[in-house]
Amino acid sequence: MTRAMRRPVVAATGALLLAATTAACGSGGGGTESEGDGTLSVWIMQGTNPDAEDFFADVSTAFEEETGATLDVEFVEWADAHDRFVTSIAGGTTPDVAETGTTWTPEFADAGALAPLDEYVDGAGVTEDLVEGLVEAGTYDEQLYGMPWYAGVRSLVYNTEMFEKAGVEPPTTWAELEEAAAALKEEYPDKIAVAVPGDAEFTVYPWVWGAGGDVATLDGDTWTSGLDSPESQEGIEFWTGLATEGGYSSEGATTWRETDVLDAFAAGDVGMAVMGSWTPGAIVDANADMEGKFAAVPIPGKDGGIAPSVLGGSHLSMFETAEDKDLAFAFIEMMTTGEFAQQWGEQSGYFPGQVSLLDETLKSTDPLVAPFAEQFVDGGASVPAAATYGAVQAKLTTSTMMQSILSGDADVATASKAAAEEMTSILNGSE
Amino acid sequence: MTETLPRLGRARAALVRPWLLLAPALAVLAVLLLWPLVRVFLFSLQDYGLREITTGEPNWIGTANYAEILASPELWTVVLPNTVGFAVLSVAGTVAFGTGVAVLLASLGTFWRTVTSSAIMAAWAMPAVTGTYVWVWIFDADRGVFNDVLMGLGLLDDPTNWFTNRWTFYAIVLLNVIHHGFPFVAVTVLAGLLGVPKEMLEAAEMDGAGSFRRFFSIVVPQLRQVFAVVIILSTIWDFKVFAQVYLMPGGAGSNRSVLNLGVWSYVESFGQNRYGFGSAIAVLLTLLLLVVTAVYVRTVLAEEER
Repeated sequence: MTRAMRRPVVAATGALLLAATTAACGSGGGGTESEGDGTLSVWIMQGTNPDAEDFFADVSTAFEEETGATLDVEFVEWADAHDRFVTSIAGGTTPDVAETGTTWTPEFADAGALAPLDEYVDGAGVTEDLVEGLVEAGTYDEQLYGMPWYAGVRSLVYNTEMFEKAGVEPPTTWAELEEAAAALKEEYPDKIAVAVPGDAEFTVYPWVWGAGGDVATLDGDTWTSGLDSPESQEGIEFWTGLATEGGYSSEGATTWRETDVLDAFAAGDVGMAVMGSWTPGAIVDANADMEGKFAAVPIPGKDGGIAPSVLGGSHLSMFETAEDKDLAFAFIEMMTTGEFAQQWGEQSGYFPGQVSLLDETLKSTDPLVAPFAEQFVDGGASVPAAATYGAVQAKLTTSTMMQSILSGDADVATASKAAAEEMTSILNGSE
Repeated sequence: MTETLPRLGRARAALVRPWLLLAPALAVLAVLLLWPLVRVFLFSLQDYGLREITTGEPNWIGTANYAEILASPELWTVVLPNTVGFAVLSVAGTVAFGTGVAVLLASLGTFWRTVTSSAIMAAWAMPAVTGTYVWVWIFDADRGVFNDVLMGLGLLDDPTNWFTNRWTFYAIVLLNVIHHGFPFVAVTVLAGLLGVPKEMLEAAEMDGAGSFRRFFSIVVPQLRQVFAVVIILSTIWDFKVFAQVYLMPGGAGSNRSVLNLGVWSYVESFGQNRYGFGSAIAVLLTLLLLVVTAVYVRTVLAEEER
């Protein structure tokens, strides 16, 4: 609304006072607004924080006090966002600053749409304080394009009632996990001891990393997928073996996505599963009886310790179309550090992208907060930060591997070799 | 001399007038259909991705996209067999079942015909997405009705995941598509059936023709044009089935043995930001459907002339 109303005013004043320069006003949406009137246009994804409107009203006030510029926040649906970014990049109408999903940042950086942030971040003196997994995800061509803002992480969530009845403790090693699954299956033959979903790549990588394997590594300009290394295969073998050999999962899980895991867990049918730090609310929403009946532990490494897990979240990115880049970074800094970052984390249920802000969270004794926070700080990782990783996801390379193993169509060696070859080829853009 | 001139003018006017009258419609079609088609064709000759969109510069690669498509082993071993095989079965199934229902409807009284056709309309009106989820739920491995019934009857010992096998996967898609597509056939054929002259059927009955003979020797030839329309439209729809496959568990690409042309082109082009490649697939699909339609229309017309 405000946008539509402001336009004619700008155009009219332009025509009256600066007739000669009106042509410049027509050069493009985002650009014109940040030019003369000190406005910063920002896109934020909808739905992360239920109180986003109020939150940004406060941010706007603070931002205007600090910089004298006004903030123009537009909320964008996650589902439409990628298309909107692409078309606005094409038309040169990108906002000055936008929230970008961590896997999109390298892609937009590769398209030449984003401005590197290293200088600004160094200037603000926060380089050392950023959560590593998010920096990794926002780094493209050795430059930082995405400022870590917030993220969630997946850990091992378990049904405390089932665990108590079966007389087992939450596992800290793979051997313990398998024992717990066996005990759960004995106590609850009709339930799923551990859900091993076939169409959920982020539940697979912790086992690959936990065994010492790699999803993909960059050497010079060339990516190589490590999904078929002996270590990775051991991890995949263990995870899928829980289903194929132990029978601790279910037939249906072969084609499950993470949402299916959530549904089954919320129904009380699952003993343990890899689930996100943002899911506890949804579980209780789906089934109020589950309140207080589940907890989390960090995903165990093979012989103990914490297996790394993907940090899923958002960066704040600055677009090349931003006229006043210092102003843009002033906003980014305000959002990602200090009070507002903390407040956003509390309201949305995600973790802030700065280690110092997590101290408070780490002290929490809540069984649904502390383990996730521990996983976040000590066991956070990123998917390969390649512009082409989105293409790997679209091709469902990892899910294809998982499904063929779980359905018995292929063994781990064959399936992981095919997946690694495909991933390497797509990551390097050679089709 | 003086007489031929106006006659020529009149002939020319007669030639021009229809086109003048059609001009507005043709102009709209050209803008809405022809120009996008031309654009798609132009994209198909480029390596067109996010970078090309950003810079706005064309990136011509000639027919490399087409060469890549036609050289893809996945296309010939999985995608095309799935697409063509499925289209043949589902067109046959839809038309056969729809015709059967039409015959049933024609023999019902007004009241029951209204009730039955309303029920059919419900199946037709159901969005493809909703319908697909209902079938997925019925065949769900752990909580589905189908597995429950089979296990209850002792025909199955353990739950089976019907979505992981190529044949059972497509059997479910087939049920879904036929269920969604038959009402159109039934309604269209019913309209034709009601137009078949009663006298001919009575005469045939007097001559001792049984009901099957009457149906195949009198009704079917009378309805040839109706069948032509129904078959062509069903073929086009069933060739480009997308949602009914994409939304099934494993159908979005993680089960490579069930890829069809629609899903394959989506995953390979839009998923990879390779818009040029996707355009080339779209062009090929359009040509393929044009050929199928042309061949069919010709056969129908040829029979008509005879």
